[in-house]
Amino acid sequence: MTATTSISTEQKYRLERDACGREFGTELSRLTGDIEDPVLKLKYLRGAIDHGGEGPVDLVPCAPVRRAWYRMRGLEMLHRIVRSDASASQIVVERVQMARRAARRSLGGVIAGALFLIPALFAGIVINIGGEQEPVQIAETKSASTAAAATSMPEPIDEMAPAQVMAQVAESLPEEELGVVPTTIWMADRGPGWELYSNGLRVETSYTVAGKERSYVVHHRDSGPQRGVHTKPVGIIFHTSESDLWPLEEGYERELRRSSASLLKYLQRVQAYNYLIDRFGRVYRVVEDETRANHAGRGIWARNEDVYLDLNSAFLGVSFESRWEGGRTLPITRAQLIAGRNLTHYLRQRFAIAPEMCVTHGLTSVNAKRKLIGYHLDWARGFPFEAFGLPNLYTQPTPSVALFGFSYDEDFLNTVGEPWPGLLAADRLLATEARERSTTIEEVRRERQSRYQEWSKQAPADASVARESPTPQIADKRG
Amino acid sequence: MEDRSDFGAESGSSTSGGAHNTSTRTRFGLDVGTSKVVSAKGDSSKADTGAQLNAFFIVPYSSLHESTLQQSRVNFYREGDELVIYGSDAEKFAHMFNAEVRRPMAKGILNPAEHAATHVLETILGSLIPTARSSGEMLAFSVPAAARETGAELTYHEETIKRYLRDRGYTPLAVNEGLAVVLAELSKENFTGIGISCGGGMCNVAFSFLSIPSLTFSIPHGGDFIDSSVGAVVHEPATRVKAIKEESLDLTRAATDKIDKALHIYYDKLIDMLVEELSRAVTKSQRLPRTDQALPIVLAGGTAKPNGFRDRFEKALHRRALPFQVSEVRLASDPLTATARGALVAALAER
Repeated sequence: MTATTSISTEQKYRLERDACGREFGTELSRLTGDIEDPVLKLKYLRGAIDHGGEGPVDLVPCAPVRRAWYRMRGLEMLHRIVRSDASASQIVVERVQMARRAARRSLGGVIAGALFLIPALFAGIVINIGGEQEPVQIAETKSASTAAAATSMPEPIDEMAPAQVMAQVAESLPEEELGVVPTTIWMADRGPGWELYSNGLRVETSYTVAGKERSYVVHHRDSGPQRGVHTKPVGIIFHTSESDLWPLEEGYERELRRSSASLLKYLQRVQAYNYLIDRFGRVYRVVEDETRANHAGRGIWARNEDVYLDLNSAFLGVSFESRWEGGRTLPITRAQLIAGRNLTHYLRQRFAIAPEMCVTHGLTSVNAKRKLIGYHLDWARGFPFEAFGLPNLYTQPTPSVALFGFSYDEDFLNTVGEPWPGLLAADRLLATEARERSTTIEEVRRERQSRYQEWSKQAPADASVARESPTPQIADKRG
Repeated sequence: MEDRSDFGAESGSSTSGGAHNTSTRTRFGLDVGTSKVVSAKGDSSKADTGAQLNAFFIVPYSSLHESTLQQSRVNFYREGDELVIYGSDAEKFAHMFNAEVRRPMAKGILNPAEHAATHVLETILGSLIPTARSSGEMLAFSVPAAARETGAELTYHEETIKRYLRDRGYTPLAVNEGLAVVLAELSKENFTGIGISCGGGMCNVAFSFLSIPSLTFSIPHGGDFIDSSVGAVVHEPATRVKAIKEESLDLTRAATDKIDKALHIYYDKLIDMLVEELSRAVTKSQRLPRTDQALPIVLAGGTAKPNGFRDRFEKALHRRALPFQVSEVRLASDPLTATARGALVAALAER
């Protein structure tokens, strides 16, 4: 089906037309998810669909090439719109240009891949044979489609629409559902291998192991390490398992079960998270709450004056069975969302966790050596904070940048597609300080980075913290 | 374009939506409905809305009447030996005289049985939108989808409004009423879903995929159908039924008296007709997108406003098999202004 053929402005908003094809629509929607301004979104969609539509691209036999092509068309249209919009700043125009250039390069790469690499990729497919093996991915994470999707444009509207919100990739949930909600959450029942809580949360405990004791120091954002050692979790970090995802369809029960069981055994062995939520919404406690899981690696988070550098100790790790692909976390199921929300409510009540301390791994993870953010990228965008009753932390100035001068490079942009609003806000904070002190932003960054260096040296040695490679990690086995 | 300080200055118009904006992107959207004309102006972030009842009432001319109306700041004009009171004031006078207001529009288009229709409608439009400050400014207005009975008349209706707007200096853009609801309310869903505007004269439906209307239709029944049907069975003027409906109807509660009971019955009848036509149209249509995505339905318009309408609509929907999944049925954030706000979005996008 095609939505195009020339159509007059007169008829645009009243004439019935064929809907555009699913593939074209999907690629267009990838960009619209990040556009908050309805007028800009409408201009973009109408422009992309009315001027050209699917056209000859529809005839291309290779799906990744088609998708990359559609995406580039979308970016071309967006560039045209932004360029002609007097209210769009130069920065926005430049960012869209940059994304468009990346899309062109990517399209070239995908075409080349389609022509020459298909046999090689085909041979490289690894079949998960289950059992006790570490979970392996069915498809290459950095696949051709990922490369196409990685051309996602930088946010074009942050300066046009201040109240922008990053797109959620999961289903939305109403903030409050109908029905009576218990005022507190308590354990209502328990049996061998499970616990039931008053808010409906059921925790499977048959995989639970004890980790190492929690023990961490909190830093004051100005004065550094504070006295006293803490042993209770003060926050939650949301992850994705970066594991195989079989189709959530009837007929795949065996594969889905084996995949989750295999994943759980692996997570138990390496004590990767405190909780895993599988695709049917089952909540597994993997590492006891009171003990630390090895989930966060090098990371930085802060709230008010308090800065946290040992996130494994200070935070509980909650992972959703999903993975990062194509510049975003793949949509989680509604069952996972509901279970995740119930679990979050329970943990927040049990440990008196502040809403600003419920954050995603992608927002906290850093490459300490290179002073770059985004070493791990799970939930680097699209976490449904609102559905969890939590503030949108993508809009809060990112502590690793604002406090310690961390930065990001082109690889990060190519993968994530755009900096989240809080990242830009943090950059602006650094720029403001540089201006006020009549110095350069690089100088401010250097100072902040050396402070991080100093503080992290003082922190106790932690064997569980991953040793980062000098290159940014785009895809990893475990989020 | 600069901000207009003269917007909504006329008596009888109500405004909402916050402070005036000095954005250079100000445009107008109009919902030209059988029962009400609603305007929205502003930019993409905020819209100011104004409304006038699309009705008039005639009293005989006398100098005393004229001066009284002037002193009371009532919207009226003199036509020979008659004084034509128009807009929201018309209803007050109709109540005073225990009579019915007259309507320049019926079933979504200019009322062919009303000789003053065009003049009154233009006067009401003029009370809501000023003359364009610069020639060719975009103004989007809502039009119904053609019903079987109203094909030719719709062209006349649309052209009449367009000519008037061109005379005022605007470039008019017609927007399907159901699609306007989608543009106003389904931005987060990428303008994908079903917009339904339940107005006074008719209900308009648009099935939109990424803002493209794949299916539009209307049924020639709306709030007026309910008012007149109820009025006929309880022997009350439709104006009184309308007043009761707007003030106290709650479809979630059991009917308390005869009028209430009749209102429940005819609301159910209207909803059934609407859902049946929706089911028939989507089953028949060849243009709908092939998507597994569950689609939202947004209800707008004054007829959808009573408490419980949404629930009854949802129940009626569940009784029928549709060829797509419905993610949610929701009421527009402001059902009365949704169509005008959607038209405004189109006007802004088509600069």
